[in-house]
Amino acid sequence: MTLEIIVMVKQVPDKQEVVIDPVTMNLNRSLTRNVTNSADENALEAALRIKDKTGANVTVISMGPPQAETTMIECLARGADRAILASDRFFGGADTYPTGLTIAATISKTGKFDIIFAGEESSDSSTGHVGPGVAEFLDIDQITYASSVEYEDGHVIAERELEGGTEVVKVPLPVLVTVLLNSNTPRMQTLRRKIDATRKGIEMWDHDRIGLQPEWVGVRGSPTIVRKMNPIRERERAAKKIEVSSIGDLVDELYEKKILKLEDE
Amino acid sequence: MAGIKFATPAANLDEYRNVFVFLETREDKLIKPALEMIGVGKRIAEKVGEKLYCVLLGENIKKEADVAVSYGCDVILGAESPALSTYRTLPYSRIISDFVKEEKPNIFLIPATRNGRDLASRIAVSCEAGVTADCTELDVEQDTRILSANRPTYGESMLAEILCRKHRPQMATARPGIFPVPEKVESPKGEIRIKKASIDQSLLRKEVLEFRKKNTVDLTDSKVVVSGGMGLGKPEGFKILKDLADEIGGVVGSSRPTVDMEWITRDHQVGQTGQTVRPRLYIAAGISGKIQHIMGMKNSETILSINTDPGAEILKYSDYVINADLYEAIPALLDSIKEKKKNLAKATKK
Ligand SMILES: Cc1cc2nc3c(=O)[nH]c(=O)nc-3n(C[C@H](O)[C@H](O)[C@H](O)COP(=O)(O)OP(=O)(O)OC[C@H]3O[C@@H](n4cnc5c(N)ncnc54)[C@H](O)[C@@H]3O)c2cc1C
Ligand SMILES: Nc1ncnc2c1ncn2[C@@H]1O[C@H](COP(=O)(O)O)[C@@H](O)[C@H]1O
Repeated sequence: MTLEIIVMVKQVPDKQEVVIDPVTMNLNRSLTRNVTNSADENALEAALRIKDKTGANVTVISMGPPQAETTMIECLARGADRAILASDRFFGGADTYPTGLTIAATISKTGKFDIIFAGEESSDSSTGHVGPGVAEFLDIDQITYASSVEYEDGHVIAERELEGGTEVVKVPLPVLVTVLLNSNTPRMQTLRRKIDATRKGIEMWDHDRIGLQPEWVGVRGSPTIVRKMNPIRERERAAKKIEVSSIGDLVDELYEKKILKLEDE
Repeated sequence: MAGIKFATPAANLDEYRNVFVFLETREDKLIKPALEMIGVGKRIAEKVGEKLYCVLLGENIKKEADVAVSYGCDVILGAESPALSTYRTLPYSRIISDFVKEEKPNIFLIPATRNGRDLASRIAVSCEAGVTADCTELDVEQDTRILSANRPTYGESMLAEILCRKHRPQMATARPGIFPVPEKVESPKGEIRIKKASIDQSLLRKEVLEFRKKNTVDLTDSKVVVSGGMGLGKPEGFKILKDLADEIGGVVGSSRPTVDMEWITRDHQVGQTGQTVRPRLYIAAGISGKIQHIMGMKNSETILSINTDPGAEILKYSDYVINADLYEAIPALLDSIKEKKKNLAKATKK
């Protein structure tokens, strides 16, 4: 039986070009170019490598506004078989809970799934919570922060990079895997596939098609709200200039101020 | 377990009391971020006159339960089983979600380590709670008992204050290295409730085949960090930084590209994708001061930068600036320090 692989991809504002509106302190989206979240490209590549080996079907799923279609086309052009964009005005303003809910419901609607890939985190929300949230909604196991992922008869074997070292785990399907940024080199898009994808277009699913009530999703379905955005004010530092010739004085000053301790602590 | 269910608001907010923290362990030993959670959790609990509950899972946790109590934990909610000896998502999230459903905490804090994040969002979904990721400031409003969860956003230029008004518990993960490890309390008294967990086999299908420990330096423990960047020009440059660090009781840190170039191992890296440090003295040699690096060191008490570029961004974050070649400045600094030490030794002999 063919393996069914899902990849969760998100379109994000290009980090290099983030412009913050000085009045509202919000992201000025009109001035910012959108790109595919980098770690999600690594997630797609991990999926495509399993497809190369096993002939799996790879479906990319995103929740986002219609312009996220460009990201979906890119994924098809790299080798994904199917793209579904969960897009609906009711989905806007979602925190991680309804985002996970919407994606999990969309995945359920596609029918069978064996492996779900996501990125370790998105560059704009950077929570890393959406992947595990989806796994909980779907009641399946998960492997987070994977640097390598292998499929072997009915199991995924992966290395997880943790603070103190590398953990190797083996999990039977179905499983959700979140993939580390830069853990592989995403393949190029091919022109042929790009043309096909653009011609065919992608599937757009709204809340009705997915079977979700408007009040479950988006801002209304979100337990958390942003109360305020404050610019982070750094402590002013003196940047006192020291000449190499007067480093001795600096050492004295740091010692007097107990910043530099020269006796054993 | 959750099923596709939207998040139902809590029916009665007053029912939810006390502060939970998750005590992460490695090989049944509390890790430092766990102690940080006790500190911030205790502060929040005391502000609203509630108790601090510490959630602790493992194979053999009695000793660490005592340690947690010595830091001020009021109640330990423990679960013991050989199957819990290493962290695994499903048994941990199931047991802890059950604790949450039984005890109904108002607030639940989890360290934003990799396993902490792996866990937090599963519990949030299972308990229909709101969760704010990677907080650097946490406080509670006294009258409403609403958690003020603050997290940096937009490349650390802004701090977003996030609230969860109607769902319980109010969950947050807290960035490691930000919240101080608390002092031990004078006469600790805490109630230790450890139960033997029986765990359904279906939750134990993930096998942990091995754990390859990395030889790591914990930069967050050191009072002095001497970091080098691409300005070193060559891997051997780290040698003089090491000499300086050794002389002043410090450890060597680095920027990310020096790690990517394999001049030094990743455990030395400071910054967004490395460690967050706040030593008494941070020396940045040949580091330009890009935001991803700044994020990891800007809360150091004193910052000294050494850079040939008088316009380097690091200047803004420096208390002292040596605008010179580090290969001149560092040896000079080292000589002065040795000299000073000699003079101090002479003075005490007299
Ligand atoms: C997603 C992401 C995550 C990242 N995470 C991190 C992170 O965690 N930590 C991190 O550090 N970076 C991180 N970076 C990289 C970061 O953006 C910068 O590229 C990096 O911090 C620059 O390193 P540097 O200062 O060593 O090198 P450069 O920017 O090349 O600066 C070298 C400096 O050395 C000075 N110099 C040159 N010669 C000398 C000399 N002889 N004596 C004195 N000074 C000299 C130069 O004037 C210059 O200022 C990340 C980037 C991304 C995109
Ligand atoms: N709106 C979305 N649509 C599809 N996938 C998403 C969405 N948001 C997050 N993800 C996935 O979840 C991962 C973690 O995102 P985050 O929790 O926002 O840091 C991302 O790398 C994506 O794979």
